[in-house]
Amino acid sequence: MENKTRTLYMIPYIGWIILFVVAPIALVVYYSFFDIHGNFTVGNYGKFFTPVYLKMAISSFWYAFLITIISLAAAYPTAYLLTKTKHKQLWLLLIIVPSWVNLLLKAYAFIGIFGAHGAANQFLDIIGIGTKQLLFTDFSFVFVSVYIFIPFMILPIFNALDNLNPSLLDATKDLGASKWTTFRRVILPLTLNGVKSGIQVVFIPSLSLFMLTRLIAGNRVITLGTAIEQHFLVTQDWGMGSTIAVFLIIAMFLIMALTGFRRRGA
Amino acid sequence: MASTIIQFKNVTKQYGQDPVVLDNVSFEIEKGKFYTLLGPSGCGKTTILRLIAGFTEPTSGEIFFNGKKVNDIPANKRQVNTVFQDYALFPHLNVYENVAFGLRIKKMKKSEIDKKVKEALSFVNLNGYEDRDIQDMSGGQKQRVAIARAIVNEPEVILLDEPLSALDLKLRYQMQYELRELQRRLGITFIFVTHDQEEALAMSDEIFVINKGKIQQSGTPNDIYDEPINRFVADFIGESNIIQGTMIEDYVVEFAGKRFACVDKGMERNEPIEVVLRPEDLEITSPDQGLIQIKVISQLFRGVHYEILGVDEQGNEWMVHSTKKAQVGMEIGLRFEPEAIHVMRFNESEEEFDKRLESYTEDESDGK
Repeated sequence: MENKTRTLYMIPYIGWIILFVVAPIALVVYYSFFDIHGNFTVGNYGKFFTPVYLKMAISSFWYAFLITIISLAAAYPTAYLLTKTKHKQLWLLLIIVPSWVNLLLKAYAFIGIFGAHGAANQFLDIIGIGTKQLLFTDFSFVFVSVYIFIPFMILPIFNALDNLNPSLLDATKDLGASKWTTFRRVILPLTLNGVKSGIQVVFIPSLSLFMLTRLIAGNRVITLGTAIEQHFLVTQDWGMGSTIAVFLIIAMFLIMALTGFRRRGA
Repeated sequence: MASTIIQFKNVTKQYGQDPVVLDNVSFEIEKGKFYTLLGPSGCGKTTILRLIAGFTEPTSGEIFFNGKKVNDIPANKRQVNTVFQDYALFPHLNVYENVAFGLRIKKMKKSEIDKKVKEALSFVNLNGYEDRDIQDMSGGQKQRVAIARAIVNEPEVILLDEPLSALDLKLRYQMQYELRELQRRLGITFIFVTHDQEEALAMSDEIFVINKGKIQQSGTPNDIYDEPINRFVADFIGESNIIQGTMIEDYVVEFAGKRFACVDKGMERNEPIEVVLRPEDLEITSPDQGLIQIKVISQLFRGVHYEILGVDEQGNEWMVHSTKKAQVGMEIGLRFEPEAIHVMRFNESEEEFDKRLESYTEDESDGK
């Protein structure tokens, strides 16, 4: 009886998973075995290991790595300070609010800010450095990406730090630990899960960024995301696009496995 | 002569504009004894512990450790270790690493750490649990790990913040014995915080009864139980009958409408006072043989004894602990010895109180 109702409740969930997770992945895998003329082939996979695509893959990973590391470096201290503030929920909300704004709108806002006559250049002019090419550089690409992803890094780290039992910190102090030792041996290990979740939600999406590469980086940065978009919309080579997508999916699972190891404590 | 290890001099603690948590507290703690800070929640006992540990600083006053002022010395530089109420064990480390934590910070040699951790674990009967995860330990075992983690550092003082409050009754009794035994074997000063008066009476060499940020009374469990200084202490420690009365003259006290011989003196004539009579000091007799007659209004069987509640003619309520049974509605007599009457003056300071008590013992020795 109870089992039956439970199965009943599971139907929408299973239906959702099949329709929107399993089926698309199966389709992507299916398409990856066809060439541009619709003939069955495994050649796409061979093509992926040519320098053109490998270079794209490496640059994707490199930028995703940079975005993740910079987000992490900024997010951890921010999250730590947030847990110390008086109205931490309010401050947290202020950090999360920008993530509700559409990505495209934020991208256009930065085009305005980083443009030749934008606010950033006006500021550089006033302090005497003079105008610089900001838009369409690696710097602006990484900067805007970090800006977009950082709330997703702060949130899990904040939660982990906030859940930390304060008497553990008293205990470390009591046992003779300095501030740095307390951080290294207690705070960091106990918030590592938060850090890992943060890395997952930042690194994986930034691997397949494509819109920002055009709008902010002016196609100077070509990532696997851009390549997929181009294959599907421009060259119409769905097979090659799918193949790249398959590799991205594999990469995601690898990262999940790497950051998901030894999930304990907390 | 035992030497003083911790001294508080006029210590006051106040958080912001809130009422004071500790109000001008002074006391001394001697080496190698088992001390208990006893009081209701919010009385300031945990604050005293946190001040000794160095987690918080006094608003005013001085704290001395081995004769040296330690107000500004941070917690990680003090020769004190704490056993926390929620144990505060590190969930990401196993039992061994939890205990070894303090030693690793001291950069001790591996072989030495190994030896000390094993020794500490055997002290708390946890041999063979080294590789266990903290999550897989029961409440009592966690408690022991927390104690091992404290004693392994060989501190001069161990602070215990209500460490037994999360355990069930049986385990709590067992841990009371173990803690007391451990303290005797190690000879380290223990400062134990609790709101459980039975625990305090059973374990301590010295008890500080604390209320509203002030030490009400300090002394051995016997002293405090037998000679409570005021209504709060009498009420908080054990069951007691507290009756309004008048001190007619030395050795004569009036309460419940009658005059009784007592052993107290040194008060003014006709001074209004309160007397304490412990329920177990009252003996049930027939009404005509009793010093006081009460009408029984309720009776509870408590296992070891009956708890009988009654009212005398003046309307004072009396609680009696007796192995004899009474009948609800019946009139019974109560007998008690002059020594069972404890007279408490209003607003007497601990110093005056101690002086008064001392004068009685002098009289006794004079008489012999």
